[in-house]
Amino acid sequence: MEEIAFEYSAVKKISKRSHVGVAGSGDLEILIEPSDDLQARITIRTSVEGLKDVWKSIFDRFFYANNIAAVIEINDFGATPGVISLRLAQAVEVLEI
Amino acid sequence: MMVNIPIKDSFIELSARERVNSILDPGTFREVLGPFDRMESPHLSIQGIVPQSDDGVVVGRGLIEGESAVVIAIEGDFQGGGIGEVSGAKIAGALELVLRDHENGVCTRPVMILETGGVRLQEGNYGLLAIAEIGAAIVALRPYTPVVGIIAGMIGCFGGMSICAGLCSHIIMTRQGRLELNGPEVIEQEAGILEFDSSNRQMIWEIAGGEQRYATGFADKLVDDDIKAINSAVIDVFSEGIPTQYRSSSVDRYLSFLSQIDPTKPLNPRMIKEIWENKQEDIKTIGESFHHFKEQQVESKGALSRGRVWIEALSGQSQSIITATSSVICVDSMINNERVRYISVVPSENNRFPRARQGEVGLDEGWAIAYFVQEAIREDKADDRRAIVAIVDVPSQAYGYREELLGINLACAAAADAYASARLAGHPVISLIVGNAISGAFLAHGLQANRLIALDAPDVTVQVMSKESASRITRRSIKEIEETAKKIPATAYDIQSFFQLGALTELVQGINADAPDKKDIQHVLEKVQSLIIEVRSSKRDLSNRLQSAEAGRYRFASIRVRELLAAQWN
Repeated sequence: MEEIAFEYSAVKKISKRSHVGVAGSGDLEILIEPSDDLQARITIRTSVEGLKDVWKSIFDRFFYANNIAAVIEINDFGATPGVISLRLAQAVEVLEI
Repeated sequence: MMVNIPIKDSFIELSARERVNSILDPGTFREVLGPFDRMESPHLSIQGIVPQSDDGVVVGRGLIEGESAVVIAIEGDFQGGGIGEVSGAKIAGALELVLRDHENGVCTRPVMILETGGVRLQEGNYGLLAIAEIGAAIVALRPYTPVVGIIAGMIGCFGGMSICAGLCSHIIMTRQGRLELNGPEVIEQEAGILEFDSSNRQMIWEIAGGEQRYATGFADKLVDDDIKAINSAVIDVFSEGIPTQYRSSSVDRYLSFLSQIDPTKPLNPRMIKEIWENKQEDIKTIGESFHHFKEQQVESKGALSRGRVWIEALSGQSQSIITATSSVICVDSMINNERVRYISVVPSENNRFPRARQGEVGLDEGWAIAYFVQEAIREDKADDRRAIVAIVDVPSQAYGYREELLGINLACAAAADAYASARLAGHPVISLIVGNAISGAFLAHGLQANRLIALDAPDVTVQVMSKESASRITRRSIKEIEETAKKIPATAYDIQSFFQLGALTELVQGINADAPDKKDIQHVLEKVQSLIIEVRSSKRDLSNRLQSAEAGRYRFASIRVRELLAAQWN
């Protein structure tokens, strides 16, 4: 297991929270909650080690599109970048922003 | 010509949370101890395993047909639905709150959606203790309300949780669901590929699939994989109400059923269906069934085991003992003025089931234990209930093809049911661990006792499965498993580690477990008697296991889960 953390500065406030997915084979669990300040904090626990760069590019792209001030927590069990992006989109949909 | 194909909405494809929502009345689902409470397992990340925020169990409050309800679903995609400390405590704690509701006149309906491989091996004895507490809650709750289990698939319901399924008042299954005590890989590992080929999927479903389980009386309803069908089955079983006799209490029916089996001949799923159907009109009396066992029995003492040494030592008798099968010994004796019934499972080379000859809890053993315990409940008056002492020396449950086909999960449930019922009726039930206390065998014979005590001696062990099997299932080397045990006492095998979990009342020091002398025997008898006296004036549930100083430290999460559930319940 590897733990990864990122921070982004953000502009969009959110009011709801969202939970999608399962930390099961090839999938991941995402929890999103509003953050207190205009910062986004992401913590990832993943079963696949050595892919910090991949996660970084996924979140660079995600925050380019959704600049939300959120605390994002991820429990990953080997999801592919495609699945990760899909789950993130699903989680954002629940936020209704 | 147009053909109308009925449109079905798959229940199997739903996540645990969606399943809970689909059972509750629309718009009434409220999650208790949900993902944002972040009550995750405290034991996984230190082993390098990614945890999940709800630990794989969803507890949903709401209504079913306008009545208060709780639906508990296990998420099969997270760690195979394995029961760890937190996930197990969520299920047990929720059922305990349903019991509290009923005692206060609130009729909360309990439904469990069982999608589980059994104990989560990475948390070992935490899972075992939690499953015993789930079983205890089901037995306590059944007289108030139907306790309903749904086994939809695709994981199925295995291990200790299949024993809990056996305890439920009603079981609903789909064809895709499976109900089995031992997982196919574990049977193959323990008994060999000739006994059980875990890659033969057709054989596995023919034995344990919903269709076979329904046809042979191990499940009550067989439904399609359809949300509406499952919903109406749930509503049906609640309207049917509390059964007149629980499946796991039906000793005469199942002893009669088993007496018609000849283990020396080949057996297949179709034959079991035929025997079960015949049996419906022809239930033999218990006496007749036992007569059959006794004919099988040849006078032989079998291998010397601690189970035999200690039952003879404590009862002071080596003659005039009652035996049902050659492998279950029951002796009535006295400790000073206390009447005590001792029960022990022992190896027997004459056991008619070859997979139960080393002292395992097999089919005959589970039902025979249930018979002896029920007999004590039946014979004693309410104000004069004898103590029951389970002498625990069980290497495992029996692993085999016949065992699964004939419902060993239910045989283990029968024994657990009997001990739990005796405890609730006011019999002081004490477990004395003198040797191995492993897995389903320990859940059946020992873990439902008011108090557990163990000898602090070599080869006194408590665990979920052998290191070899655990290694195969978790894909870790035996060395890695031994390393983990140093960090997490619940995954260790020795009795000192188990003692740290707080469920043992005492670890009795300085006793020769293999050959006790008079002083040793006297010392243990005194311990047992003082526990009997203590139990007579204590609560009849298992709550004391979480009240010890050790539990406060090592089962902190089990206690915390219950506090949070209670705070969020209404």
